[in-house]
Amino acid sequence: MKTWALVVDTWREAFARYTLLGFVIASTLFILTLTFALNLDIVDGALAAGSLFGKAFEMPSRSVPIDEVVTTGEAFFAGMAYALGLFLAVFTTGSQVPNLMRRGTVDLYLTRPVSRPHVLLGRFLGAVTVVAANIAYLCGGVFLVVSLKTGVWNFRFLAAGILIFFVFLSYLGLMFLVGALSGSTPLSIMIPYAVYMVTMPLAAHDRIAAAMDSRLAAHVVQGLYWILPKSAELGKEMVELVLGRGTPSPLSLATTGAFGLACLALAVFRFARRDF
Amino acid sequence: MGVEANPTVIETRDLVKVYRSVRRPLRALDGVSLAVRRGEVFGLLGANGAGKTTLVKVLLGLSRPTGGTVRLRGVDPRWASARRRVGYLPEGHRFPDYLPGAEALRLFGRMAGVPESALAARIPDLLRLVELEDRGRDRLGKYSKGMTQRLGLAAALIDDPDILFLDEPTDGVDPVGRRKIRDILLHCKERGTTIFINSHLLSEVERTCDRVAILDRGQVVREGRVEDLTRPTMRFAIRLAPHDQPRLDPATLQAKRLVATNGRVEVEVGDLAELNRMIDAIRGQGLLVAEVTQVRTALEDVFVEVVSQENGR
Repeated sequence: MKTWALVVDTWREAFARYTLLGFVIASTLFILTLTFALNLDIVDGALAAGSLFGKAFEMPSRSVPIDEVVTTGEAFFAGMAYALGLFLAVFTTGSQVPNLMRRGTVDLYLTRPVSRPHVLLGRFLGAVTVVAANIAYLCGGVFLVVSLKTGVWNFRFLAAGILIFFVFLSYLGLMFLVGALSGSTPLSIMIPYAVYMVTMPLAAHDRIAAAMDSRLAAHVVQGLYWILPKSAELGKEMVELVLGRGTPSPLSLATTGAFGLACLALAVFRFARRDF
Repeated sequence: MGVEANPTVIETRDLVKVYRSVRRPLRALDGVSLAVRRGEVFGLLGANGAGKTTLVKVLLGLSRPTGGTVRLRGVDPRWASARRRVGYLPEGHRFPDYLPGAEALRLFGRMAGVPESALAARIPDLLRLVELEDRGRDRLGKYSKGMTQRLGLAAALIDDPDILFLDEPTDGVDPVGRRKIRDILLHCKERGTTIFINSHLLSEVERTCDRVAILDRGQVVREGRVEDLTRPTMRFAIRLAPHDQPRLDPATLQAKRLVATNGRVEVEVGDLAELNRMIDAIRGQGLLVAEVTQVRTALEDVFVEVVSQENGR
């Protein structure tokens, strides 16, 4: 009941702040575009012609099987959703902890017979369900429309949605930690973005470390690579997954998950011990 | 039987709270020992910065004490179970403004573990009690200060608390709203709720509390029952019959005349014999005495005296 109250509260806040509505409207527009503005002519299992908003695509000279078109298109979309979806999800949920910790508000929550970890994890669960629902709506909607239009049911695309959600969870842990430490919404949003930016070049950590003059700097680069989420690798592996060329590496998954979990544990520890 | 025989439900012993700071540590609470019994209405008085809010926060587990012990019904308030059936109205509270009033009560009722069936009945009752029954569907962002304060009181009462903490409950509330809040508190008191009020509105405290403590720079400098602290003085208020008031010759008062307002003359005498001589003199002029009342020291006087003494030390 108490957890349910916190989850419902998060949904109400997301609804009242129009973030939920914004997400739903953007996703719906995209799905409607795919549904009504995208036309594909399939002849003998291959794409013969296609148009978007009435404008015909340039078709390749060779005949392209429709399943290849679909998986390539879905891989492109998944890559876009990965970067943009994470950006939006962080923006949407960045105020969760700072809003809870506002003077005059936190007292109302923490003086109830609920433990502090319970309150914080209840908010975490609320944010998780809001973002999960949005990703499920967008990815599920795109999957259904594309599959129904083409008859190609590439279920690996749904796994990409789960992967996006998984990487988001890791960043949500970081947001909760920054929020519990600082109580600042701008910091809770900016630091995950900064970490995301840093993790991109770190995919080439071996080459960067080799180019470093000092051993210490090289160790720092390698250390950061192992500590921070593997955003670049997982993004690339997700595309490969949708294309059916591979699966995400367990190491990338494990270190990304461990990062999020460690951040969340530290956030709970800090929140539980903090004076309000 | 008075509350003196009841068990202690709020207790602190040698409570110390130090806020660490780069410049110098601030000792907000300095050895505070208090005991509040079940059913008692206890007032905590103090100037701004005396440590009142810090004490309430420590009592509710929002802040960790640096030293000493604090117990709510014998349990450390940092344990969630200790806060069961404990209501709190914080100073400057900020309810989630996206919620309608009734939904805010539902949220905090659920968090307090009140079953849905009980909430369904209690929320309308509480909204009626604080006279917000027709505003329950409105978002809190549209509430006035007084309405928000009354809703805060309703939220504090949502799980039928037996201990109620109120931090400046009438702050920013107009006289009508203040009276309403006082009536609700008296209703709670009649039901046996222990009430801990933190306020600098001394007249409110005087009207509501059984016992008070005065906090100054983190220390309890005076504690006692309101009627003991506000002891009788040798000042008397004399009121004459309305048509006689303008006819009173001040020279008749063979004592130091203090104040004459609203048909009342307040005098200070050495003893009762002097007072009676004065009344005889008034009556000797053919004037009618309607009322003679002994003036007690107001809590405000006690407060100012105590705090001035402490600051002069």
